[in-house]
Amino acid sequence: MPAPPDRRHVGAPLPRLDAWGKVTGATTFLSDEPRSDAWLGAAVRSPLPHARLVSVSKTAAFPPQAVLLTAADLPCANLVAMVREDLPLLAADEVRFATQPVALVAAPDRETLKAALAAVAVELEELPAVLDLDAALRGEGPVWGADNVVAEYRIDRGDPDAAFASAVTVVEGTYSTGYQEHMYLEPQGVVATPRPDGGVEILGSLQCPYYIHNALKRALGLDGDRVVVRQSPTGGAFGGKEDYPSILALQAAVLALRCGQPVSMIYERREDVACTTKRHPSRTRYRSAFDGEGRLLAVDIDLVLDAGAFTTLSPVVLSRGVLHVAGPYRVPHARIRGRTVATHTPPNGAFRGFGVPKAAFACERQMDRAARRLGLDPAELRRRNLVRDGDTFVFGQTLRPGMAAADLVLERVLDRSGYEQRRREARAFNAGGGPLRRGVGVTLTMHGGGFTGDGEDRIKGKVAVRLDPDGLVTLLVSSVEMGQGAATVLPQIAAEALGLPVGRIRFHQPDTSAVPDSGPTVASRTTMVVGRILVAACRQLADKARAFAGDKAADPLLAAGHAGLTATAVYESDPDIDWDQSTMHGDAYQGWSWAAAVAEVEVDVDTMEVRPVRLTHVVEIGCAVNPVLCVGQVEGGALQGLAWGHLEEMKLKDGRYWNDRMSTYIIPTSLDAPDFDVELAELPSPRGPFGAKGLGELPLNAGAPALAAAVEDALDIEVFEAPVTPEILLARWREVSR
Amino acid sequence: MKISMWVNGVHRDLEVPPLKRLLDVLREDLDLVGAKEGCGEGECGACAVILDGRLVNSCLLPAYRAHGRVVRTIEGLGTPERPDPVQAAFVAEGAVQCGYCIPGLVMASRALLDDEAGPSRPRIREALAGNLCRCTGYERVVRAVELAARAPQRACGDEPAAGPWSSPQASTGDDVTVHLPTTLREACELLARGGVTVVGGATDLGVLLHEGIVSPAALLDLSRVAEVHGVRREGGALVIGAATPYADLMRDPDVARDLPCLHEAVRTVGAPAIQSLGTLGGNLVNGSPGADAVPPLLALDARVRLVSAAGEREVSADAFFTGYRATVRRDDELVAAVVVPVPAAGTRQSFRKAGTRRAQAIAKVNLAACARIEDGTLREVRLAAGSVGPTVVLLRVAMAILEGGRVADLERLAGAAAAAARDEVTPIDDVRSTERYRREVTGNLVARFVTSLSS
Ligand SMILES: Cc1cc2nc3c(=O)[nH]c(=O)nc-3n(C[C@H](O)[C@H](O)[C@H](O)COP(=O)(O)OP(=O)(O)OC[C@H]3O[C@@H](n4cnc5c(N)ncnc54)[C@H](O)[C@@H]3O)c2cc1C
Ligand code: FES
Ligand code: FES
Repeated sequence: MPAPPDRRHVGAPLPRLDAWGKVTGATTFLSDEPRSDAWLGAAVRSPLPHARLVSVSKTAAFPPQAVLLTAADLPCANLVAMVREDLPLLAADEVRFATQPVALVAAPDRETLKAALAAVAVELEELPAVLDLDAALRGEGPVWGADNVVAEYRIDRGDPDAAFASAVTVVEGTYSTGYQEHMYLEPQGVVATPRPDGGVEILGSLQCPYYIHNALKRALGLDGDRVVVRQSPTGGAFGGKEDYPSILALQAAVLALRCGQPVSMIYERREDVACTTKRHPSRTRYRSAFDGEGRLLAVDIDLVLDAGAFTTLSPVVLSRGVLHVAGPYRVPHARIRGRTVATHTPPNGAFRGFGVPKAAFACERQMDRAARRLGLDPAELRRRNLVRDGDTFVFGQTLRPGMAAADLVLERVLDRSGYEQRRREARAFNAGGGPLRRGVGVTLTMHGGGFTGDGEDRIKGKVAVRLDPDGLVTLLVSSVEMGQGAATVLPQIAAEALGLPVGRIRFHQPDTSAVPDSGPTVASRTTMVVGRILVAACRQLADKARAFAGDKAADPLLAAGHAGLTATAVYESDPDIDWDQSTMHGDAYQGWSWAAAVAEVEVDVDTMEVRPVRLTHVVEIGCAVNPVLCVGQVEGGALQGLAWGHLEEMKLKDGRYWNDRMSTYIIPTSLDAPDFDVELAELPSPRGPFGAKGLGELPLNAGAPALAAAVEDALDIEVFEAPVTPEILLARWREVSR
Repeated sequence: MKISMWVNGVHRDLEVPPLKRLLDVLREDLDLVGAKEGCGEGECGACAVILDGRLVNSCLLPAYRAHGRVVRTIEGLGTPERPDPVQAAFVAEGAVQCGYCIPGLVMASRALLDDEAGPSRPRIREALAGNLCRCTGYERVVRAVELAARAPQRACGDEPAAGPWSSPQASTGDDVTVHLPTTLREACELLARGGVTVVGGATDLGVLLHEGIVSPAALLDLSRVAEVHGVRREGGALVIGAATPYADLMRDPDVARDLPCLHEAVRTVGAPAIQSLGTLGGNLVNGSPGADAVPPLLALDARVRLVSAAGEREVSADAFFTGYRATVRRDDELVAAVVVPVPAAGTRQSFRKAGTRRAQAIAKVNLAACARIEDGTLREVRLAAGSVGPTVVLLRVAMAILEGGRVADLERLAGAAAAAARDEVTPIDDVRSTERYRREVTGNLVARFVTSLSS
């Protein structure tokens, strides 16, 4: 490893720059600003999952000042542009999921809105609904296209059939994962304001200003200048504010344009949970072939995701899942098939991890199952199979020197957690009887940072920096602060690149009229990819300032403050990247981040309540630009994963989410969280700024598989699903044991 | 309604609808937007403020309840220049991410440190359990509170409000009449007029009122009636005022010593902000089969004291319930107290809740159990379970199996009682759990209690 570089700002555990506003209550979120002039908007939704929409009409009680818009009245194209353009803004003649909007209503105040909503008559003719994955796979309906298959990807490597034929041990398992609700503490919301030029301005709690910008341009047929999207301080997002705000913003925009008034649409919790996207449920059939030494010869994997009724982001979620499903292991032969299929359920969307958590769950469960079959310790089986520099993934990416850190994180976490001793102690404890059982589980995962393959090349993120008269440098990016720390980390990177104190950097609140499109705030790409473009822009700005102020200026950036200097940079890929999107072959990700975790749990066999006691997590992320923030990301992400593994269950009832409030969709409290012990490891990557790679999503991947492994260890029964609820555990415990 | 209160040390006079939530009063009328709405149903704590020294969820508190009270919000805690130690520690430890939960978490931490110096890690986790944070994983938050606890504390200068109380003055536009009597007699007289809904802590009612599920014309609030507050000893019993907040019950040494199963149950109700307000009277009359404080009352063979203008009567806690959310209480009656006989010395008591999570959880199953061993024989065995039928129930068949059983035979008795308990309960599948799980776990908890008697 190279000697630690001499850096001042990158690597500093700086308190986040927005912390004081947040701890004193001064930060104003969307609903905190008084908006007495704004009308209120709402959607009229279908209660049925599948129906013919016969009519939507006003009844006599509809207040005259309120506005009703149906698909027929829309002043624009009836579509929300995402990966495809199949999602209508309003159902026109067929309803394909419960809660699908069939009309929009706006009114000047809450009372009138309530009256108006009550005075809309929706006539529906119920049709048979396809609500489960098996029916969808059989092509019933079809809900979407000819066969319900919204997207399909395959990866083939070598000769898996021959490898299976020669295997000493073949292990087979089917693993399923459930929905996950983001439950960001601040519900979704936007305010749309008509502009004098006929355009519209959006202010909202969101992740991707330019996604909304694009969706509004496409549907409303407006040129880019007449659509402005601004981000308000965002109270958590986790992917939930990646795609859905495009829908909400477009609803508010058409209402605002129609009423000629600002229209506010801020969800209450129940509507948010009932109507916004969730993590896709998944089912993975997994076969693995091993030789006599417990080395993987081949995998044969069939991964299926429930897309819900429309495309949204499902193909992209799927492709990432397919690329991660063989895990951080050396697999010479592979047959992998991934499909995402449509059902008459609300469309699923982005959620931190984006396809990887379910893939990692299946892969890691399968490794644990294999370890039991092979009589090996789970850590040892992983040690024998993990990828190292020079190894090639099933999709053809060869890890260059310095890229692989699977062995590093695994050995570190085993050591740091005292894995072997903790396992022995757990065994001894369990032999003592009593209602409690302890278990220890290990997991190894990875995450590809940035967009898949040539994705970054295709979107070409753009960053600008501006030198202001006061000598401060303003960062102009569309990457948002949503809690993850972008508004601190990007200034740290800029400060380092410019050789300025962080106090001389300003982070501009994302606003499409003022900042270029640095891409969406997704895919763990902000630090690694946007940070890298930012460094290029900063270096240019420093050069310009030096050119202006002369070489002798002690502080050229201060001296050139009045010169009106700006610099922009656009993403440039490295020439040695090889990716073929049509075959999904090659360098899928430029920076791989690695994580290994050891979970310790306590299970009460009377009730099968699972208590995570401790989670030791070692992550390798290239460079920890801000170690305190990094640790926070690891802990928070891991808890989301742990909770998805046992606590968070979203049930469907008649095609609707049954757990549609905070008292029924259970996220962890401080008493449900374990003590965390996090170690940050750094193998600098040439692809990211100062060596940094992606981090935001990585820690979520380990949570559920580590928990499942620990539960399995505690109870000596197998776990195939996330969440593994007490109800499931109790039933299985009965079956297996006594 | 005209109300006045002290907010962050400033006396404020306001005219607001009586049922407007304190959260909305703060945000809309006082421009104090630090308290946030995350759920509107008491679950998330984003709206938490300190009321008379205790953490409450302002989304559950009707405005009239704040009349005459002292409220502290995040805005009144500190500034970047002169921060509260909790705020400084949150910044220093990296306990902040998106920030939406943070005002509530900071207030909860403040309330804890005002109450207790140098709390342990488990205590910190308990004190913050009603403040959901989706970003941090809580580790940095817990560390921040540990750090803040080591700093010199700075009292916020609030003294809890004390009587004598003035009554808030009704306004002509009020959509509901609010009575805030100060004596039991006055309360009974008001109740006798009919059409009046009783309010304990409003932790159940608050949600129903906000969602428009109930819209009473008149409310009778018990928070100022001294006779229905506090714990007294009457002969061999503890008499617990029905409107005593859980937070007081939890701190009551007599309850902790003599009625440990009730003490334990109360500790599991919601989280601190719910415990600041919620009451036994509300838990009983709300009639939820999952009410956590009720099984101990059945197990301890408590009596519910009902008082009306016409007189007083006592009903056994077991006979109080007549069906799903139905009780013997007449509309003109108040639950004034529960009378809990102190069990004979040596009686073993236990309460166990299997909830949806470890705090802020509704019971999937709960069990309160009492028994005494006399000359190697089980005596006065009482088992009461919740969330396993339309009401909290006594497990009579299991009790009969155990009563008079020999300690030497405990293993067999435990198995037989567990099997009987599984048979006699009538649970259902719902959004939180399954019939099968509830049956099974009822039996497991019964068996566990019985086998624990041997030690
Ligand atoms: C977030 C949250 C978490 C919760 N967690 C739990 C939990 O873990 N366990 C649990 O058991 N409950 C829980 N609850 C429910 C509630 O807090 C309890 O039932 C509490 O005991 C209700 O008491 P209260 O005084 O607030 O009732 P209120 O809301 O004031 O009243 C409830 C009902 O009882 C009536 N009533 C109240 N007092 C009297 C009286 N003295 N005489 C006659 N009628 C009366 C009211 O008219 C009303 O019908 C929770 C609630 C919330 C919002
Ligand atoms: S808003 Fe969630 S508890 Fe009040
Ligand atoms: S910091 Fe985002 S919810 Fe707590």
